[in-house]
Amino acid sequence: MAERNVESVNKVREAVSQDLLGGRIDLLLGWEKGHYWWQSRPLFARSEADLEKLAWDSFCAVNLSRYLLEELKDHDKVGVLVKGCDARAFNRLLQDNMVRREQVILYGLPCPGMLDYNRLVEKAGGAPLEITEENGRVIIKVGSGEQEAQRDDLLLDKCKDCRYPDPAVYDQLLFSPQGEKEVTERFKTVEELEEMSAEERFGYWEKELSRCLRCYACRQACPFCSCRECFVEQENPRWQGRAYQPSENFMFHLVRAYHGTGRCIDCGECERSCPVDIPLQELNRKLIKDINELYGDYEAGLDPEQEPPLLTYRPDDPAAFSEK
Amino acid sequence: MKKVIAREKLPELWKSLAAKGPLFLPIQEGPVVLFQPWSEGAEANLDAVNTAVSAKDVFLPREETYLQYRCSGNQLELIPVENAEPVIAFGVHPCDLKAVEMLDKVYLDQEPSDELYRQRREKTTVVGLSCREPDPFCFCNEFGINPADAPGADVMAHLKNGLVLLEARTDKGKALLDQAGDLLQDGSDEKFEAAEVKTADFGLNLEGLPENLKERFEDPVWDELYKSCLGCGVCTYVCPTCYCFDVEDFGHEGEGQRFRCWDSCMYGHFTDMAGGHNPRAGRKERVRQRFMHKLQYYPETFNEIACVGCGRCLRSCPVNLDIVQAIKALGGETVEQR
Ligand code: SF4
Ligand code: SF4
Ligand code: SF4
Ligand code: SF4
Ligand code: SF4
Repeated sequence: MAERNVESVNKVREAVSQDLLGGRIDLLLGWEKGHYWWQSRPLFARSEADLEKLAWDSFCAVNLSRYLLEELKDHDKVGVLVKGCDARAFNRLLQDNMVRREQVILYGLPCPGMLDYNRLVEKAGGAPLEITEENGRVIIKVGSGEQEAQRDDLLLDKCKDCRYPDPAVYDQLLFSPQGEKEVTERFKTVEELEEMSAEERFGYWEKELSRCLRCYACRQACPFCSCRECFVEQENPRWQGRAYQPSENFMFHLVRAYHGTGRCIDCGECERSCPVDIPLQELNRKLIKDINELYGDYEAGLDPEQEPPLLTYRPDDPAAFSEK
Repeated sequence: MKKVIAREKLPELWKSLAAKGPLFLPIQEGPVVLFQPWSEGAEANLDAVNTAVSAKDVFLPREETYLQYRCSGNQLELIPVENAEPVIAFGVHPCDLKAVEMLDKVYLDQEPSDELYRQRREKTTVVGLSCREPDPFCFCNEFGINPADAPGADVMAHLKNGLVLLEARTDKGKALLDQAGDLLQDGSDEKFEAAEVKTADFGLNLEGLPENLKERFEDPVWDELYKSCLGCGVCTYVCPTCYCFDVEDFGHEGEGQRFRCWDSCMYGHFTDMAGGHNPRAGRKERVRQRFMHKLQYYPETFNEIACVGCGRCLRSCPVNLDIVQAIKALGGETVEQR
């Protein structure tokens, strides 16, 4: 992996450094390595020295598009590295009128899927020392030797069922596209939940949500949660209290999920950010599935010209609520 | 007093201890391990190095009711709540227990002390648990913490070859082992030395850092460091040494309870003031507050840095902006390592 990795980082660096050093963009949003080889954190690059730190590897999970909300206040033109989900996140912001297209240059990175440290630990049966990747396989080095695994089995949850690893929007595509992926398990858990009786399902969510800290990290990480004032913090009326009560948990989670109906781009950043692993994607995907079934297939963030179903009105809209 | 019990007998021990009041243990809750009250059927996990959220949940619960109220007509009735039943916290690692000592300094050693905290703290019996193999995120060694021992524990526990060794160190601890009665066997012949444990070495040099930061409120470091922060508060919620809370009511139709619950300086509304002014208006001010509190304000008052190297912010920050990154950015790194 090491060599291929150096090669691809160089390619990315070459593409962006012309623009950054030539003044076409004022800031580049990318990734750099953290303390660990299995973490890549956001990089805010303004100089050649900054670009030296650039990383593009199997751990660049953090969605960078969301930083545009802040960075466009201070910069005229910002470059962003975008994977498939990051590009859909950009389209989300664009459709919500939170960013202007002409202020942003997108460098598209067809994404092989990001790896999950916890899965590496699980597969290796202990703390992994390093990994090498070749042809869809990962060799994990541990103290006692090596373990080999399929790359697909080590992906982050958010990448497992990702249908569009290629950026849907970009100014420049830096590598050859991966192609649309066939996903079979995207709605599997949702279907299982649908099979449950209402009581069972209520019990399931009551238990899952009972460990929610209500830190709202899921909201902070989300590209559709760009409201200047969230209902959670509104003082008057006061929608959301802070008590750790089932009613307050449900209040937050239902409203958050509903606000994403037809808008959630299925990037999984909410779930990845949650410190106690609440299965937020199950809620999001239930709504994606419902939208697909009621209004026909709709993939939020793919095409900014295509309005989210709930933001449009058609005389022949299905009136499912009154029928059921 | 030294006792032993076979690991497979632990559920019996849990049952006996939980009969007298809440028994908090690292419990496997779906994909994560959390300090929670044990109940029949719960899956305790003593092999997990660090729980996702720290053990402070036992001493300073995420939510603590302290008053009930009832209004009828123009009568307001206030009913104080007795909170502190005896609690056992079993399996607290040295870092988390050291952090509780730091909370003690805030809540007990200053006037006036915090009554809610005092009651809870006094009625809690702590069973410390030594760490056999640290997590890659653990760096408690940097703060002089020995993962093999938790000074301050009422009972110190070690896992060894299918056995749990228990050594009572205080009267509370002895009472706890007595309570377990015949379930425990004599352990006076067992060796109680846990092996030395080496945690991650980030090459930090903390000497003089708090003094050095005193004049660095306006340092340009802050203009960069905060940028990746999402303001999500995860770091403060999982951290064992963060101790800020908010007070709120939960009620309906004139009846309810007043409680305090964790709050976080990473949130905008944390410093919202009546009249609309917010002295920490943006993420930069908030990130600075969090790190300055740990590295300057707390040490200035209590003579130690308010971090125990538990590694939770390194593990859980969604964008990997953690205390080690902050310390390094602020120059708290051994020079050879640079
Ligand atoms: S679901 Fe997770 S991230 Fe969201 S508020 Fe709850 S604990 Fe925080
Ligand atoms: S709800 Fe979650 S999956 Fe959907 S857009 Fe927001 S962060 Fe992404
Ligand atoms: S430092 Fe990380 S965990 Fe803390 S508020 Fe910022 S993004 Fe969240
Ligand atoms: S700052 Fe981070 S490492 Fe230090 S005690 Fe808090 S969570 Fe643990
Ligand atoms: S930080 Fe130290 S004391 Fe805490 S769990 Fe890790 S090794 Fe144990």
